[in-house]
Amino acid sequence: MSTKPSYGRIDLLQGTLDLLILRTLRWGPAHGHAIAKAIERASDDVLLVEQGSLYPALHRLIKRGWITFEDGTSENNRRAKFYRLTAKGRKQLEIETSRWETLARAIARVLRPAAQESRHETR
Amino acid sequence: MRRGRRALDGLDDDMRDHIERETQDNIERGMAPEEARRQAMLRFGNVALIREDTQAVWGWPSLDAIRQDVRHAFRTLRKNPAFAIVVILTLGFGIGINTATFSIVNTALIRPLGFAEPERLVALHEHPASGNAERWPFSPPDFLDLQRDQQSFEGVEAFVNVPFELSGRGDPIRIDGGKVSGKLFSLLGVRPLLGRDFTPDEDRPGMDVAVLSWGLWQSRYGGDRSIVGQTVTLDRRPYTVIGVMPASFEFPRRGPQVNNKPASIWVPMAFTDEQRQERGNQYNRSVIGRLKEGVSMDEARAELDVLARRINANYPVVLQRAGLSFGLSAAPLRDEIVGRMERPLLLLLAAVGLVLLVTCANVATLVLSRAGARTREIAVRMALGSSRARLVQLLLAEAAILSTAGALLGLLSSRFLVGAVPASVTETLPGVQEVSIDLRVLTFTGGIAIATSILFALIPLITIDRGCPGLALQGATSRSTPGQRRHRLQAGLVVSTVMLACVLLVGAGLFIRSFSALMQTDPGFNPDRVLTASLTLPRAGYSTAASVRNFHLALFTSASSLPGVRTAALVTDLPLERYEDRVLSPEGVDMAGGSTNLSWVYGPYFQTLGIRLKSGRVFSNIETIEPGGVVIVNERLARTFWPGQDAVGKRLRWGINTQQNPNPWLTIVGVIADVADGPLGVEPSIHAYEPFSQFPDLMLNNVNVPNIFGRQIKLAIRTDADPRALASAVRGEIGKIDRQLAIESVATMLDRVGDVVAPRRFSAMTLGAFATGSLLLAAIGLYGLLVFNVRERIREIAVRLALGAEPAAILRMVVGQGLKLVSVGLVAGVIASYGVARAVDSLLYQTESHDLVTFGAVPVVLVLIALMACALPAYRASRVDPARILRTE
Repeated sequence: MSTKPSYGRIDLLQGTLDLLILRTLRWGPAHGHAIAKAIERASDDVLLVEQGSLYPALHRLIKRGWITFEDGTSENNRRAKFYRLTAKGRKQLEIETSRWETLARAIARVLRPAAQESRHETR
Repeated sequence: MRRGRRALDGLDDDMRDHIERETQDNIERGMAPEEARRQAMLRFGNVALIREDTQAVWGWPSLDAIRQDVRHAFRTLRKNPAFAIVVILTLGFGIGINTATFSIVNTALIRPLGFAEPERLVALHEHPASGNAERWPFSPPDFLDLQRDQQSFEGVEAFVNVPFELSGRGDPIRIDGGKVSGKLFSLLGVRPLLGRDFTPDEDRPGMDVAVLSWGLWQSRYGGDRSIVGQTVTLDRRPYTVIGVMPASFEFPRRGPQVNNKPASIWVPMAFTDEQRQERGNQYNRSVIGRLKEGVSMDEARAELDVLARRINANYPVVLQRAGLSFGLSAAPLRDEIVGRMERPLLLLLAAVGLVLLVTCANVATLVLSRAGARTREIAVRMALGSSRARLVQLLLAEAAILSTAGALLGLLSSRFLVGAVPASVTETLPGVQEVSIDLRVLTFTGGIAIATSILFALIPLITIDRGCPGLALQGATSRSTPGQRRHRLQAGLVVSTVMLACVLLVGAGLFIRSFSALMQTDPGFNPDRVLTASLTLPRAGYSTAASVRNFHLALFTSASSLPGVRTAALVTDLPLERYEDRVLSPEGVDMAGGSTNLSWVYGPYFQTLGIRLKSGRVFSNIETIEPGGVVIVNERLARTFWPGQDAVGKRLRWGINTQQNPNPWLTIVGVIADVADGPLGVEPSIHAYEPFSQFPDLMLNNVNVPNIFGRQIKLAIRTDADPRALASAVRGEIGKIDRQLAIESVATMLDRVGDVVAPRRFSAMTLGAFATGSLLLAAIGLYGLLVFNVRERIREIAVRLALGAEPAAILRMVVGQGLKLVSVGLVAGVIASYGVARAVDSLLYQTESHDLVTFGAVPVVLVLIALMACALPAYRASRVDPARILRTE
């Protein structure tokens, strides 16, 4: 249930989640749980509020043709899908990454001086 | 979408696997299995919601969800059947009359004519140069000149309606036929279904060939394909059948002013030599032309002006001097066929459109009232994470069920409604005898249903404030913003329903007033207890004047001597009809170009029909048998030529006042009251009556005079009691005189009057029904609003009562609330009706568009009905038991 705001966790922007999924899959095919874990680990449990919200995102990416899936059987003998990056997705990842880095640099430039000042004042 | 289905397949497995792994991880981290599972579920989120969101990625709501929604909607509606029934009935009413009206408009105005490239077909007319906007069909020599000389058209062809007696194979019947000039069918671009079309060679006297309509071929000859080449008997002469036209071919079309009876059989025009030459006579051939490719209407008109001059120059000098001169006019054939009906039909469509608006507004009020009760349910759904899209889907499912049921009911009832339109009305509409529900009508009805369901689905949503279902959940119902917004909307809807009902009531009132004014006009005769029969003597059996006169005598004698008959008479045309239009010259009056209707009577016609004698006398018994050079005229004729004088004793003769005029002078022996000679309410024309003894034998003996001239007979009998009782006796007497003779119709004079006023009665009655329906709907809407308002304010009312308010004050409060809305609607409605009334002014009869009686009565009726609608909720509110309410709340 969305009893927001949950402290320390951020509601992910759709685009960010997409980017993270693509990034995770760069290392090879993975099933849903593994992708969720990887994102949580990489972001110190901050980014994924509900693991379930991964699934609509995965399907969005399948629809765009950036990732694809194969039906497989997991270790506990269950049917589960393995998702992997397509060539199109790999290209998209590069575009998104560079766009994201540009944006991040820009935000950082804007924020850092202000942040330093405020720290200065608090002291 | 196959990719989507494949991707979604196994989603549940995927998610279950996910939760399983998370549980496993948690256990490994040292949690108890149960706690591990709970945490995993929490971490994952709402499985159902995620499934929905994932499915939504692929753009289609899962079938499962739809099925679930529909089932839920049915359940909800079953819980509140009164609501569902009222909504479905209301929608059925609105959609039903709209579908019925639209299917009539569709067949009459929209459906194509059924001719090839109809946009190039043109109706041509002669119009008297002296006259106003009068347009006449063509006289044969004028048509032949036009056909020979014109360059603008691929061809011009003529046709005329003629009735036939069809005998042989079964009882003789009278049918409508058509005489068509050589290439008419190919000009229209229609080919026979069987056999062949007429050849140009067959368009001359003596070639007795005929083409059957599909309808006659089926009904009379059982669709026998070997009919082609056989003979049929028309007016007791054998005609060889050369072809059968397709079922879709209807010609002449209904709609124009003359030659408008679809024919069952067609024969060649076959002008006689005399007809080809006689100028200034028989203006009764309708003419159609097909414009050449690339020739515009204006170019054609320019050429027609030139041709008109040439045709006028061909008239004999005598007629030219008398001022007889014509112009030629052209109009698209479609306008000629549907033009007269377009305005009334579109007005009717507008009226039912208003009813549909009332229906929608009313259903919207009901849905809103219910939405008030559902605010909580919707809020709970939203709080539980139902997406807005999903909620719309659910509400849409409910609305779709209601609308579909309403539309089906409407479609069904429209069949009955169309069937209930009297034949005397449909006969005036082009092509209405084949009204059917086609794709266009279904699209129309479907469109209404879809539009209404979307409307209803969205109403409850508007009333929920975006993103703050909390307020509604906290039970802040009457004070919260969404509630207020809903109330405003609801009040607006009630106001507009009242307004629309007011407009319809005023419209209906005006038409009903017109109709009653019409029924009170003096038709100049007394239709009570008069029975009539119409027949036409075929030339083949009655080729001489003597045989026609013998028939007159025999019929008159036997009808007069029937028991229960007071008087009987024969006439060429009864009241409400016209026969012949003649040029006349009054003696000693210098007035050119006067013309009059002329009727021929046999026996005591004026007494039989109760036509009042104004001065002089009626025809004597001698004059019935022997020509005496006498004439009786109506008041209008006397007033026109001899204003302020007694016309009795004055003289007139037929034809133009020249030395060469061979016609004898006739002495006026009597003046009678003006008798209606068309639709009631139209000023009767100048009219003269001659005894049939003066009908020239020559006319009846001459084969060049049109078949039926002087051979059409109407029998009128005045009876002691119900005239209907004599109908079969009259048929029997006619059969005794001529067993072969087909009787066109036997009807009371009252029925004939009824047929003439039927279109007006129909419009008054339908509008009345629409207005009553809308009034009822407005009342239901108001009632619904007040009931729900009282329910919502019940706590407040209880507090007021507990604090000592008089029940009467509560009563006044609720009624006042209702009347406030009604009066706002009423003011708006009266203003709107005034505009509407002016638009229909030309359709009213002796009723002003600002008729005070109507504008006075409508508000009174509306307020009375509104008071009735307010009464019950107000009474309930005043009887609230404060103790009980305050304790439970």
